[in-house]
Amino acid sequence: MKLLLVEDQAEFANNIKDYFSKEGDVCEVALTLAKAQEKLYSFDYDVLLLDLMLPDGDGFSLLHTIKDKWPDLGVLIISAKNALTDRIEGLNLGADDYLPKPFHLAELNARAKAIYRRRLQNGINVLAFEEIELNVDSQEVMVKETLLDLTRKEFELIHYFIVNQNRLLTKQAIAEHLWGDYMDTADSFDFVYQHIKNLRRKIMAAGGNDYIKTIYGAGYKLKKI
Amino acid sequence: MNLLFRISLLFVGASFLVFLVGGVISYQVMKREVDSEQQRFLLERLDRIDNMIKKRKPRDSVKHHQLLIVPLQSKQQESISFSDTVVMHAQLNRLEPHLKLTAIKNVNNKSYYVSIYGVIVETDDIVDAVTESMIKIYLILLVVIILIGSVASYYILRPFRETLVVIKNFSIKEPKKELIFPKSNVKEFKKLNSFLEEMTEKVHHDYSLLKEFSENASHELQTPIAIIQSKLEVLMDGQNLTEEQISQISQTQNAVRRLSNLSNSLGLLTKIDNQEFSNPEDIDLSATIRAVMEEFIELIQLKSISLTSQIDENIHIKADRVLIELLLTNLINNAMRHNWENGELNMKLTPGELTIENTGAQLDIDPNSLFERFKKSNQSNRSMGLGLAIVKKICDLYSYDISYLQSNKMHTLRIKF
Repeated sequence: MKLLLVEDQAEFANNIKDYFSKEGDVCEVALTLAKAQEKLYSFDYDVLLLDLMLPDGDGFSLLHTIKDKWPDLGVLIISAKNALTDRIEGLNLGADDYLPKPFHLAELNARAKAIYRRRLQNGINVLAFEEIELNVDSQEVMVKETLLDLTRKEFELIHYFIVNQNRLLTKQAIAEHLWGDYMDTADSFDFVYQHIKNLRRKIMAAGGNDYIKTIYGAGYKLKKI
Repeated sequence: MNLLFRISLLFVGASFLVFLVGGVISYQVMKREVDSEQQRFLLERLDRIDNMIKKRKPRDSVKHHQLLIVPLQSKQQESISFSDTVVMHAQLNRLEPHLKLTAIKNVNNKSYYVSIYGVIVETDDIVDAVTESMIKIYLILLVVIILIGSVASYYILRPFRETLVVIKNFSIKEPKKELIFPKSNVKEFKKLNSFLEEMTEKVHHDYSLLKEFSENASHELQTPIAIIQSKLEVLMDGQNLTEEQISQISQTQNAVRRLSNLSNSLGLLTKIDNQEFSNPEDIDLSATIRAVMEEFIELIQLKSISLTSQIDENIHIKADRVLIELLLTNLINNAMRHNWENGELNMKLTPGELTIENTGAQLDIDPNSLFERFKKSNQSNRSMGLGLAIVKKICDLYSYDISYLQSNKMHTLRIKF
């Protein structure tokens, strides 16, 4: 996956760049709108990560150009302006998704991947991790030819894990991914624990290994044994 | 009651008084004129009677129509005096006021008592005439006032009405939309319009400054928070960290997240204050509540809370959808957060009233301060104490009445809308 990140905070941009690079994705950074345009004209990208407030204008103007010139480019708006109008305007202007700052990098990764997959002509709709095969379209998970009977949340959970494999996912990041804004109840982490427990049980019942490693005091990691 | 009607009413009332006083004055003036004419008439007759006495020298009393002459035995001083009297009117068969002249006349060294009376215009006729004319003039005036009133309100006040229409369309959220007031030649309207133009411009300006400030403040806060968040995440994912270190980072992340939520919630309160949510639409509250509840079903099950809901069908309100969903989410969130494992959550929606009841520990703060910012019972440290402040703010915006009741470990929030 080749990404272009338009973000004026260089430190933050580098963090994101490193995060994606670690996984073998290519992420380039443009600190201004002008720089972003220049890069878009010179290279091909799969997904654009676009901040809205930039030193030389707002990101919406770039959206117009993109719709015109690069209709195949996926756009994920990342903005600190969590204004509802911005979200709606962005989506109306052809952005694929809107992620308000601050966000978990794992969440950014999952969303960018989802856009990338949707945009691919012959989409890879099966993600695999060892013996676990996940079909994004049919929302089915197979372990060694056995179809798992998962709830919607359990499916979202294993999906999130596979997209962010080998990375530590905090309970908080998982809770926010599963329940979004609705989850700020104190006991949310217990619920995450319960879901993970059930997911583990179901995978192992189908003969799979337990790849979900508990990192004490922090979260979980999907890791090859 | 419109302005012109009020003015007309005042005018009609005032002119009624004027006409009343005017009637009395006209009566008095006419009466005075008639009386003096009458007196002159009686005096002329007295002259003629004088001549008659000179010629006839009556020895006995002479009683005639409206005339009485009585020769007096002793000689007396001459005198003339007027008085009012009442005389039976022959045709009308009623008593009528007349003017009476009584005089002592000395003719040929002999005194006569003379009394004559008569009337040119009777007083009650004057009263009738004055009353009738006053009433007629008053009625004409009334008609004229009403006509002028309606014509004036239509033509003269037209620029004013047009100004009102323009103001009605004024929206603080659309600074680009300029207000164009109708031109008028009337000084007062010109003043009003130019004042309104200046004022709305200033309001727009202030509002956009305020809005920009709160947006920037939120943006400026979220950006460093986003950097901290991402740095922590990268740090955490690094190699060779001890469990203790990872746990510390994780706790820092949680605190950062709370900081971010705090800034968002404060921003939200400001936005509600700034009236940024004002797209009132018809909302099916029954359906909206069910949809929001749906989001919580899983949490409710995970916490083994027994939910009873009694939602009446087809209850509609007119409000901003975002705010109403926020209101409901915050209410249910609050009822969940402070609930016990295996507790209860009861929701009831009837026309005009929404009640949410939940089990939970006794409040250790004053229930009256429950809706204030940052007020929270310390049993739930993770909350920020802004949820109910937002609920209250939304209720205030739409003039909903919200009340809190605590009885026997049951907490009840009731909203009347």
